[in-house]
Amino acid sequence: MPKTIIDIRNISKVYKMGTQLVHALRDVSVSIDENEYVALMGPSGSGKSTLMNIIGCLDTPSTGTYLFNGTNINELNDNELAEIRNREIGFVFQTFNLLPRASALKNIELPLVYSGVKKYDRIDRAEAALKSVGLEDRMEHKPNELSGGQRQRVAIARALVTAPSIILADEPTGNLDTKTGNDIMKLFQNLWESGNTIIVVTHEEEIALHAKRIIRLRDGLVETDEINQNQVKF
Amino acid sequence: MNITESVRMAIASIFTHKLRSFLTLLSVAIGVFAIMGSGSLVSSVDETVETEMANLGENSFKITRMPSVQTSRSSRRQYNKRERIDYKQYTQLKKSIGDMAFVSVESSQGSMIVKYLEFQTDPDVTLQGTNEVYFNINDRDVPVGRAITEADVEFNRNVAVIGNDVKNKLFKLSNPIGKEIKIGNQSFEVIGLLDEKGAILGQSQDNQVIIPISKFNKYYSNWWESLDVKVKAYNKESFAYVLDETIGALRSLRGDKPWEDNSFEIETNESITEQFSGLTGYLSYFGLLAGFFALAAAGVGITNIMLVAIKERTREIGLRKALGARRFWITMQFLVETMTITLIGGLIGIILGYLMSTILGLAMGLTVTIPINWIIISLTVTTLLGLISGLYPAYKAAGLDPIEALRYE
Ligand SMILES: Nc1ncnc2c1ncn2[C@@H]1O[C@H](COP(=O)(O)OP(=O)(O)OP(=O)(O)O)[C@@H](O)[C@H]1O
Ligand SMILES: [Mg+2]
Repeated sequence: MPKTIIDIRNISKVYKMGTQLVHALRDVSVSIDENEYVALMGPSGSGKSTLMNIIGCLDTPSTGTYLFNGTNINELNDNELAEIRNREIGFVFQTFNLLPRASALKNIELPLVYSGVKKYDRIDRAEAALKSVGLEDRMEHKPNELSGGQRQRVAIARALVTAPSIILADEPTGNLDTKTGNDIMKLFQNLWESGNTIIVVTHEEEIALHAKRIIRLRDGLVETDEINQNQVKF
Repeated sequence: MNITESVRMAIASIFTHKLRSFLTLLSVAIGVFAIMGSGSLVSSVDETVETEMANLGENSFKITRMPSVQTSRSSRRQYNKRERIDYKQYTQLKKSIGDMAFVSVESSQGSMIVKYLEFQTDPDVTLQGTNEVYFNINDRDVPVGRAITEADVEFNRNVAVIGNDVKNKLFKLSNPIGKEIKIGNQSFEVIGLLDEKGAILGQSQDNQVIIPISKFNKYYSNWWESLDVKVKAYNKESFAYVLDETIGALRSLRGDKPWEDNSFEIETNESITEQFSGLTGYLSYFGLLAGFFALAAAGVGITNIMLVAIKERTREIGLRKALGARRFWITMQFLVETMTITLIGGLIGIILGYLMSTILGLAMGLTVTIPINWIIISLTVTTLLGLISGLYPAYKAAGLDPIEALRYE
């Protein structure tokens, strides 16, 4: 039996917009094991980002339970959630979200700073992460001195550097052209093959086809959740 | 905690918002400048007063017609009615307390010219008439030649002890002892050279000529001028008694009625300190008040600037929280940033304040000190200012919801 990392049971998420209630998620149950490669799909507004935020412990569900590595997330306070995000989760964003004035290396060091890793150790690990995304010759570059694809690689290196249980990527190729997007997907495939657990949100069919499992959301409900029989590998 | 990064970030944000930062730095600098400037000026005054006191010597007090520091016009009119202290009062006073204390009499004229052959000084020499006790009471030595003696005063001799400045002007390297100098139309034989003392309150203590009081009164004094009398008790124990006796004797000599106040001033070390502490009290009070208001204004400004900065950097804060920054880290980051800004402002203020107090102090002839304690106070105050004015913005930043923050455009 592979280890279950994410165990979501009947969660819902309701937003109040004035007097109106927005049901972003209604009764979603998902379970994800170690070393899975999942694509989360669905039309705009179907609740993909909402689900990702909950999985990433940035947000908590309105109802239902969420067990992360067996820990009930609902019972944690702000600081405990921050700690889980820091140690267990690697985020990759559509807009990269790098600190504009910090070098690539410094950006990658950031999560290690928050987990209290010593300086020399931090630099070693950040360099290794940067190497694993093929940017060892761009360490001192600032984000505005890097291409979009390179920035996303730096962001992925930052997600990797803490050796998290899971990597969450919300539309990681959304701001990139097809070729660069493919490079990034190749990187994810490598990471998956070397044992990482990955969830990628996308609304592009071609991107989703790289994953091993595809979950489709519609109107806050899981529409389908199945193994991708036609996984496209590089 | 990555303080260096926060400090670097603070400096970077100072440069990206030049005008805003300039105004903040300016208000902090002004506040610190006021505190630091007045504070160190006060320290200099205090230091000077201490030197001044040492000048008066141990177990000594001074009797004058007017107080040396006068605070208001009305009191001045009061003092002006006072009868002068004349030579006769001095001799009688000496007669009544001479067996328990040294008594000197002093009178002086500034702006005198002293001549020797074809040489002459600038018109800035102080001519001092006094008696043989002067040297003891004022703690001055005559290392070359001899001092004025009782006989010199009694027989009205034309003898003079000269200060080092005068000697250098008139005699250069040659020996002045036994030479004839001229002051006005009177000639004096130089009998001694005064030890070197430097300047106090901007006045050289070496640019003077000392002659017997009898001679002085005859040729250089105006009839209306009052004499200063200094009294030095033989020992510490008798000081209070001598003081009492002197006041009693002088009151009866000057005919002060029992219900009247003394018609003269007694200055002791304590009373001099008191006079100055009145002055420095005002100064430090004013400076601290001005500084406080400037800093309060600066604090409000900094809080606003940081709130704007946090708004602008909402996404960054969201990112940091997503990457696992606890509330504490975010709070610290912004506190360090505000404290960096206030400290830079504070340092500017300290430098400016120090320059001002030094320039003013030199102009006023004070002993200028490096006011370590005021530097420490200023640094503490600015650090606290950064802490206080940064607390609310930092708290707000730490409380941001990471998802909202990440979505912020
Ligand atoms: N903070 C919020 N307040 C109110 N409604 C929200 C909030 N966040 C999301 N929603 C609503 O929840 C629903 C799901 O949003 P979500 O961002 O998860 O969609 P998505 O699937 O990621 O869409 P997209 O593909 O456009 O990114 C939407 O209807 C959205 O308007
Ligand atoms: Mg989305």
